[in-house]
Amino acid sequence: MANKKTYPLDHAVDFVIVGSGSAGGILAKELSTAGFDVVVLEQGPYRRASDFKHDELSVVFRDELQGGGVANSGQTFRDDEAKVAIKPRRQPARYAQNVGGASVHFTANFWRFREIDFKERSALGAISGTNFADWPITYDELEPYYTKVDWEIGVSGAPGPNDAPRSKPFPMPPMPVKSSGVLMERGAKKLGLTTQPEPLAILSKPHNGRPACISCGYCMFFGCEVNAKSSTLAAMIPLAEASGHCEIRPDSAVFKIETDKRGRAREVLYLDKDGKERAQKTRAVVLAANGAETPRLLLMSASAQHPDGLANSSGFVGRNLMFNAHSAAQGVFPEPLNDYKGVQVTRIIHDFYESDEKRGFYGGGGLDARPLWSATPILHALEGMPPDVPSWGAAFKDEMAHNFTRQMCIVGSTTSLAMDRNNITLDPSSVDKWGRPAIRVTYRDHPDDLKMAGFLQDQAMNIFDAAGATKTWRYPLQPTNGGEHLLGTCRMGDDPASSVIDRDHRSHDVPNLFICDGSSFVTSGRGQPTMTIMALAFRAADRIKAAAAANNI
Amino acid sequence: MNEAPAQLLLQSCASFLRINIKKVVIMVGTTQHSRRQFLRSVSVVAGVELLQIAAPAIAVAATAARKSGSAFQVLDEDDAADFAAIAARIIPTTDTPGATEAGVIHFIDQAFAGAMQGSRAFAVAEIAEANQKLDGRFADLDAMAQDELLHGIEDGEFFGLLRVMTIFGFFAMSKYGGNKDMVAWKLIGFDGHHGPWQYPFGYYDAEVHGGDYNGE
Repeated sequence: MANKKTYPLDHAVDFVIVGSGSAGGILAKELSTAGFDVVVLEQGPYRRASDFKHDELSVVFRDELQGGGVANSGQTFRDDEAKVAIKPRRQPARYAQNVGGASVHFTANFWRFREIDFKERSALGAISGTNFADWPITYDELEPYYTKVDWEIGVSGAPGPNDAPRSKPFPMPPMPVKSSGVLMERGAKKLGLTTQPEPLAILSKPHNGRPACISCGYCMFFGCEVNAKSSTLAAMIPLAEASGHCEIRPDSAVFKIETDKRGRAREVLYLDKDGKERAQKTRAVVLAANGAETPRLLLMSASAQHPDGLANSSGFVGRNLMFNAHSAAQGVFPEPLNDYKGVQVTRIIHDFYESDEKRGFYGGGGLDARPLWSATPILHALEGMPPDVPSWGAAFKDEMAHNFTRQMCIVGSTTSLAMDRNNITLDPSSVDKWGRPAIRVTYRDHPDDLKMAGFLQDQAMNIFDAAGATKTWRYPLQPTNGGEHLLGTCRMGDDPASSVIDRDHRSHDVPNLFICDGSSFVTSGRGQPTMTIMALAFRAADRIKAAAAANNI
Repeated sequence: MNEAPAQLLLQSCASFLRINIKKVVIMVGTTQHSRRQFLRSVSVVAGVELLQIAAPAIAVAATAARKSGSAFQVLDEDDAADFAAIAARIIPTTDTPGATEAGVIHFIDQAFAGAMQGSRAFAVAEIAEANQKLDGRFADLDAMAQDELLHGIEDGEFFGLLRVMTIFGFFAMSKYGGNKDMVAWKLIGFDGHHGPWQYPFGYYDAEVHGGDYNGE
């Protein structure tokens, strides 16, 4: 674009949005097209579709899209608050650093929540040792925004038998079923289970000027080179920039939100691409940096006025981190699936969505059929091999070569319970490449989370047997030590004593500070949160616009 | 990135430069012997089938590395020969191409010159230490002796590093030095990284969509 809007630092814009991902990209588009002057500060670079390559080594193993991993982020992990956190090899809190955020490199599985997800605490009662709670909003309030996501972002799919009601059909049909989906259907049918097409934030037909998926197979971890994946980079950022009211400022690492004497946010401090400190003046701030970066920035913004961090009078900033627990089972079939082609998932099972007291523990989740590791060769060799085969030598080589085209996986994704002990804090000694205190992740699953993941793994093994797999194995079920779903760390609620933001995403403590991303979640859902993050963002934008119209920001 | 798999990856990939947790160790010899004792005993049984099959590959690996010495960016010829020999045992040449034919050693060299340069001194020191206990160098051992030695160190960080580098070098894009002529991708039936692909992709979805899949 030839004439990009730019704003001077000392001119107060209407909104600074921190983060350009699933939530930030939508808020940028909604607020700028409504005529507000918006500056988006994104810590990563501005990559375009043409920058996304099928380079497994660089993208998957050198964290090309994720800022280079722990070496640059300094992130640390521990499973208990009594321990000293250490830097693991793989980043604990994982997200892309680029315009469009993690919506660029996610797999694009795109489940709506159901009514029950918003009021499960009322339905099931308290769970001791947890902060299990209802949301202050309902499915009905969010439904119009789910539909907005379907049509504006671009979602392919078809309704399942027990999906929550929708006010408008999917804008396009689901992606065609792959062999993994056919085999899941075959097994499920014998077991009396119900499969349904996977809703995906990937276009099956051209939509809003963007092309349909070319089935290249590089969705999970990779950016889409044709803009068929419905990232905010592809679907929202161009509209924001075209509004003439939005400046996307990449390579801008925010380190503090500064407040004035009245306790209102007045400027956002960041390091530019040359490492120089900058301060953008603004009338309001929208924090959409993700469930790990958002609490970090609030904690870093502590001041004499806000000694425990900004917007943290409740002490809930950073608490209740939820990753969603997962399990996986692998199956090998006699004939080639070639499941490395096309999108990851085409069929899912939601028969175990709701919590069922007969299981003896809380939780619910979904199963999906996909190549998983066997979508790319290095992952297949390192993670996708069965346990009865040596890890090197001729037998290793033969098994690897035989299985690659014949192997698939059934992944179980589940609830996580919100608990005080799982949180994001500032590491006392580690810093990131910009010198900011590193994100410290403390996490240990609730026992029910892992029981549910194990339950789903049992179902997956049964499905493989029924589908005629010649070889099956369980991927070891281990405590969660990191993830991409960064949820719950600035939860939404009506009570300022037990939540960070109100139902309109305004922070309880700072009237012109809004927060919207995975951190807003009260419960985790069943394991695919991005659709709900995006719906919240559209809704938050409406609430913010209404407040502005009422001169109430 | 939303999605389960990446999270699962996290859980086990903490070990991706170390040990494969699912590994089943197959011993080709008795570990009660010291390495040297075993090496002596191996010379007695030289001529076993395994050796006959694998030895030419080792020879090729070693010679290939030595002959193209000047092509290496940071490795000296002897170290390159040893690393190439290790790679050739991890993904051996059988009736199909292995690490040698893929030119994995050139990936290793390139990685030690760049992205993984921090591991080079460690790897060179480790192979030097291993060689000290041998009469010659690792690359000059026969395949069976090499396997025995590697089984003795397979739980260690050095072998873990070489294993991962071999797999990287075998399967990564050719621009990183290995996967020559895409031999690794052809081996596993991966039609390359280019796309786009047309349905049906495989045997089972062909039953639904009709038509032929472009199988192996």
